[in-house]
Amino acid sequence: MASMTRSRDFHKLSLAWNVFFNLIAAIIAIACVFPFLFVTIISFTDEKTLARNGYSLFPKKWSVDAYTYLFKAGDQLLRSYGVTIFVTAVGTVISLVFISLFAYAISRKGFKYRNFFAFFAFFTMLFNGGLVPTYIVATQLLGLQNSIWALILPMAVNAFYIMIMRTFFVTMIPDAIIESGKIDGASELGIFLRLVLPLALPGLATIALFSTLGYWNDWFNALLYIDKPSLVPLQSMLMRIENSMQFILQNTNNPSLGVGILQSMPQDTSRMAMVVLATGPIVLAYPFFQRYFIQGLTVGAVKE
Amino acid sequence: MSNNRKKTTITLASVLAASLALSACGSNNGGNASGSSSPAEGNSSKGAPVELSWYTIGTPQKDVDKVMQEVSKYTKEKINATVKMTMIDWGDYNQKMQVLTASGTPMDIMFTASWAFDYVQNARKGAFKPIDDLLKKEGAGIVSTLDPAFLEGSKVDGHNYGIPAYKELPSQEVWRFNKTILDADKLDISNVRSLESLEPLLKAVKEKNPDVVPFQVDKNYGPYVPYDYLIEKFPLAVKLDDTSYKVVNVLDTPEMKQALKTMHKYYTAGYIPTEAATTESSSDVMVTGKWFADKATTQPFADNLWSTSAGYPIVSTPLSDALIYNWSVMGSMQAISANSKHPEKAMEFLNLLNTDPVLRNMVDSGIEGTHFKKIDDTHMENLPESKNYDMPTFSLGNIMLTYLNPGDPENKWDEFKKYNAAGKPAVLLGFNFDMSKVSNEIAAINNAKEAYWAPLMTGTVDPDKYLPKAIEKLKAAGLDKVMAEAQSQLDAWKAANNK
Repeated sequence: MASMTRSRDFHKLSLAWNVFFNLIAAIIAIACVFPFLFVTIISFTDEKTLARNGYSLFPKKWSVDAYTYLFKAGDQLLRSYGVTIFVTAVGTVISLVFISLFAYAISRKGFKYRNFFAFFAFFTMLFNGGLVPTYIVATQLLGLQNSIWALILPMAVNAFYIMIMRTFFVTMIPDAIIESGKIDGASELGIFLRLVLPLALPGLATIALFSTLGYWNDWFNALLYIDKPSLVPLQSMLMRIENSMQFILQNTNNPSLGVGILQSMPQDTSRMAMVVLATGPIVLAYPFFQRYFIQGLTVGAVKE
Repeated sequence: MSNNRKKTTITLASVLAASLALSACGSNNGGNASGSSSPAEGNSSKGAPVELSWYTIGTPQKDVDKVMQEVSKYTKEKINATVKMTMIDWGDYNQKMQVLTASGTPMDIMFTASWAFDYVQNARKGAFKPIDDLLKKEGAGIVSTLDPAFLEGSKVDGHNYGIPAYKELPSQEVWRFNKTILDADKLDISNVRSLESLEPLLKAVKEKNPDVVPFQVDKNYGPYVPYDYLIEKFPLAVKLDDTSYKVVNVLDTPEMKQALKTMHKYYTAGYIPTEAATTESSSDVMVTGKWFADKATTQPFADNLWSTSAGYPIVSTPLSDALIYNWSVMGSMQAISANSKHPEKAMEFLNLLNTDPVLRNMVDSGIEGTHFKKIDDTHMENLPESKNYDMPTFSLGNIMLTYLNPGDPENKWDEFKKYNAAGKPAVLLGFNFDMSKVSNEIAAINNAKEAYWAPLMTGTVDPDKYLPKAIEKLKAAGLDKVMAEAQSQLDAWKAANNK
C-alpha cells in the first residue's frame, strides 16, 4: 500500500488539495459568470418591482417588457447591430490580412529591411501621436468623419499582434519548409498562401479572436468620428445612453434639464436588456476560437 | 546593424520634427486666413449661400437633416445662409467638443453652458469669438429682445462670447412635497421655509406612514445656505449680503454648521434614508411615490411639470429667494466658434433664431404638418412623427417664442417674465473665477472633498466629529492658497466694477 502511494501518478493530487483547487476554480468561474447572469435576470425583471425592491436574484415579478420595448422602438438597435456585425466581420478580415502579411515579411531572414520595419511597428507601441493629432489626421487628411471606415481602419493594424505573429512565424515555421517550397518552384506568394498560412492557423485564430473582440467592443472610435445615428455601432450606442444618463443625473439641479429628458431615456431594465443583446453574440463566438486559442497564446510566449 | 539603427532613428526623428513644424504652420495659416477673409465675405451678402455648421447638445434625432433642409429653405430666403446641425449626445458633448475645437474643425455655432462644454473656461481658452461688435450690428434684435441681465451676466473678462437663451433667469430653491401624503396626513406647508421648520411635518409623516421616506436625499444634496459659491459644489463662497466680498470656507460658517447638525439630527431620527450618501439619484423613489419631501430648483409652473412626469400631484414652497447666479445666466448659450469663417452670418442666424417665431419653432418642433400641427397663432400640437424630432427646447435659444402646447397655461411666458423681473442679482454675478493658477490645488481639494462631502451633506455622519476633520484635509490639500487667489481676483474685480 505504502509503496503504491509513493509511486503515485505525478499529476494526482491528494483529495483535500483537489477539493481546494476545484473550489478556487469554481469561485473564479462564478465570479466571471455571475455579473452576466445577474444582468440577464435584471433585464427580465418588472420595472416597478425593480424601483421598489432594487436588484434581486429572484425578482418578485418577471417581465419581458424590456425586450418588447427594445424591439418595438428597435429601429436604431437593429441598425446598430448591423453596423457592429459589418465592422467586426470586415475589420477582422482586413486586420488579419494586414497583420499576417506584415508579420510574415519581418519574420523572413532574407528580408533586408526587416529590422527597420520591425522597429517601425514596435515604435508605435511606445509612442503615439495622441488624441488630437490622430483625430486631425483621420478627419482632415483621410476624410474619415462619418464614414464606416473610421470604425475599421484605426484598429486594423496593431503592433502587438504583429509581434505575436512574427514570433509565431519564426518559431513554428521551420526555414526548411520555406526552402522546400522554393525548391519545388513555388513563388513567394505561393509559399505564403499554401505552405505558411495553413501551418499558422492557430496563430491566425488567436489574432482573429483578439480583433473580433476589439472591433465588437469598440466604442471610442465611434465617439470620435461618428455623428450620424445610422452609423453608430452597438457598444457606442450603449455607452452614449449610459453617459447621458450619468450626465443628466449629475445635473438634476438644473431645472430645464431635469425631468423631461430623463424620462426619454430607456429604463433600467431596457438598458440591461441591451447589454444582454450586445454581449450575447460574442459569448457564442468564443467556442469557435477556443480550440486554437490556448495553443496560439502559449506559442506566442515561447521565444528562440 | 547599429549603423542602420542610428540611421532609422535619425530619419524618424526628422520626420517627427518636420511634421510638428508643418502642423504648427498649418494651424497658423488657418487662423490668419479665416481672420482676414471673413469681413470681405460678410459684406457681399448676396451670392452663393453660406452653410453654417451648428453643433448642439442632445440625443441625436432621426429627422434632424430633414428638418434642417426646411430650415435652410427659410434662412436662405431671409439671410442667404443654410444650416447644418450636428447633435451630440448629452454625455459625449464635453469630450467631443474639446476634440473638435482642439483640432480646428470648422464650426460656426456651438452650444455651451456652465454645465456642458464649460462656457467660461472655453471662452478664456479662445474657443469662442468675442461677439461685442457683432451684437451691435447683426445681433441688434437679440439685444432688444433679451433681458439685459443675460448679456451683462454672461460677460467673461468684460466681453460677451455667447448668446444666452431667453429663459428663466434667477434660480430659486424649493421644498417639494408629495401631495398625496400631504393631504392624507392633513399637513400644512404654509409655514415651512427653513430646514428646521420641516421637522414637525417629517415627524408626523414618519409616525403615520412607516413605509414612506419622510425626507428624500441623495448624494447630490447640499443644504441651502445663504452663500454664493465660486465654483459649483466647491467649498469656497461669499455670503449673499456681504458687501466686503470676503471669500470664506463654506464648511466653516455658522449657517452650514447649523444646517449639517440639523441634517444629522434628521438622519438619526430616521427621516433620511440610510443609503443617502451613496444613492446616485432619487428617480427610483420618484417612480414609487414612497417619499414625502425633498429639495429642488424651481421655475415657473415647475409643479405642473413635476406632477406630470411623476404621475401624481407634487406641490412646492420656496426655501430661498430667487437670485440670479452666474450659472443660472449661463444655463444655455449659443456661441460662435473662434475659427468660424462666417461670424457675421452666424450672428445673423442667431439673431433670427432668437427673434423669429417661425424659425424658432421650426428648429424646436420640426416641420409643420409633419411633426406638429398649428392650432392658432400661439398654440400647437405634436403629431406622432414628433418622436423622430424631439429636441431639448431650452438649449436652442429664446424659449419665449415657442408655441404653447395644449394644457400649457395661457400666461406661461408672462409668468416667466415676471419671475425674471423679480430676480435679484446674487453677490458674485459677473465674477468668474480664473482657476488656471491654482488648478492643481483645486484638483487635490476635489479629491480630498470626495470622501467627506456627501456623508456630511446628507447628515450621515456627525458634523461635530467629521467637520473639523474635513476642513483639516481640505486645508492640507491647499484650500488656503485657492482662497487667497480667489480673494485677490475678487478684490481686483470689485475695484474694476466699483462694487
